[in-house]
Amino acid sequence: MDASQRPEMTEHQKQQLQFQLFQDSLPKVNEIVYRMLLNEAIPMAVNVQDRLSEESGGHEDNETEQGLEQDLDAKLTFDPLKDHVPSHKLLQKYLTADEEYQNKVDERLNNIGFLLGQKLSQLLIFSNNPSLNFRDMDLLAVMKFVCRDVWRQLFGKQIDNLKTNHRGTFYLLDNNYKPVESFALDEDMSQEEQTLIEPYLEIPCGVIRGVLDSLGFQEKGQVICTASITSDRESQKTGSSASSRAVLFNVQINPDR
Amino acid sequence: MSASMSGNTASSSSSKKSLKAFSDDIWKNKTAKINAELFTLTYGSIVSQLCTDYERDFAKVNKQLYSMGYNIGVRLIEDFLARTALPRCDSLAKTSEVISKCAFKIFLNVTPQIGNWSSNKDSFSIFLDENPLSEFVELPMDAARELWYSNILCGVLKGALEMVQMDCDVYFASDVLKGDQTTELRVKLNKILKDEIPAGED
Repeated sequence: MDASQRPEMTEHQKQQLQFQLFQDSLPKVNEIVYRMLLNEAIPMAVNVQDRLSEESGGHEDNETEQGLEQDLDAKLTFDPLKDHVPSHKLLQKYLTADEEYQNKVDERLNNIGFLLGQKLSQLLIFSNNPSLNFRDMDLLAVMKFVCRDVWRQLFGKQIDNLKTNHRGTFYLLDNNYKPVESFALDEDMSQEEQTLIEPYLEIPCGVIRGVLDSLGFQEKGQVICTASITSDRESQKTGSSASSRAVLFNVQINPDR
Repeated sequence: MSASMSGNTASSSSSKKSLKAFSDDIWKNKTAKINAELFTLTYGSIVSQLCTDYERDFAKVNKQLYSMGYNIGVRLIEDFLARTALPRCDSLAKTSEVISKCAFKIFLNVTPQIGNWSSNKDSFSIFLDENPLSEFVELPMDAARELWYSNILCGVLKGALEMVQMDCDVYFASDVLKGDQTTELRVKLNKILKDEIPAGED
């Protein structure tokens, strides 16, 4: 039976099968650990923002004796959990913070995604995927690479829908966005829930920016990527099943010069 | 579940073997997996961003990573217990075995060595020969002195052990990234936390 099937397989298919086998043979870790790490980055970013604004918030006279004593104290006692804040409290803080604060947190997350995206594209390209050919790649092909390979690597699935106006604007629709899969969300979300979900969309936005950056779209402000949870109306328009976990990524790429 | 129970109540020699087989089975058949390189890169991006944010004050980075790990650990233990249905460990030796053979295997697919027991058996070391977090990582000079790159692991262990009523100190004793021979993670048991009984009940 195998022999009769073999001739039908093209060279390309063979390569792809081989590539798949190669991918499967790579070292793996548990997906849950990865998801937790990724999602924990959000409260972490809030925490960093907290610490930083604490520091800049008038601690100039810290060089007094008391300050030194505390410093010595901190060095002598082993307590890495001093002023530790659990993540749900940090998320609560994000929710009640002002817009500037939220923006700073978002920017931090976006930057983590950017760093990841830059390296991720290298990882994907040098793994010798036969269906990739960057020699004469246009913008659409690059975006397809993001939708197919980058997304599959990150979330184990492809983007569900890619739309473009062929002038540099792309809409990427993910009907079931993985990081918020386990969140208890209703069809009609409250304003609070909307706000809380927003930081969870920042990392992949950064990833898209990072991938495009490493593929030659490097000028500042050349790529603008935003994301939003789509309202039911919009997702019905695109003909997909209405889901509160559908996320729409809006990528705007300005051509060179 | 029943298999794991019987495996653990059996004699110690056979339980050792079954614990390994048991976690191998969970890893192979009941775990969704992702590329370890992606995991490494993601963690690298997070650490790198932290170093930028704290302007290379690595003591703060260490602390932040620890704190982040703690938050993960208190959640991860839920998944671990649900997945393995292991009973409570009756000794620290048993705990160390579950950590290395089961927890590390199921979550990171590595089986670190346990050793360096203190004389009163209240602390031990985990030797990480392979560490998925620090694969192809090289620290710059200034970071190599102070930064514990994989400090998140300490936090995770601390948080997870606290949730099973063990108050421990967890810290890195050495790291190959710093030029040491081994990557050694030290776990020291402070005390077993007591089960609280609601007031007014006997």
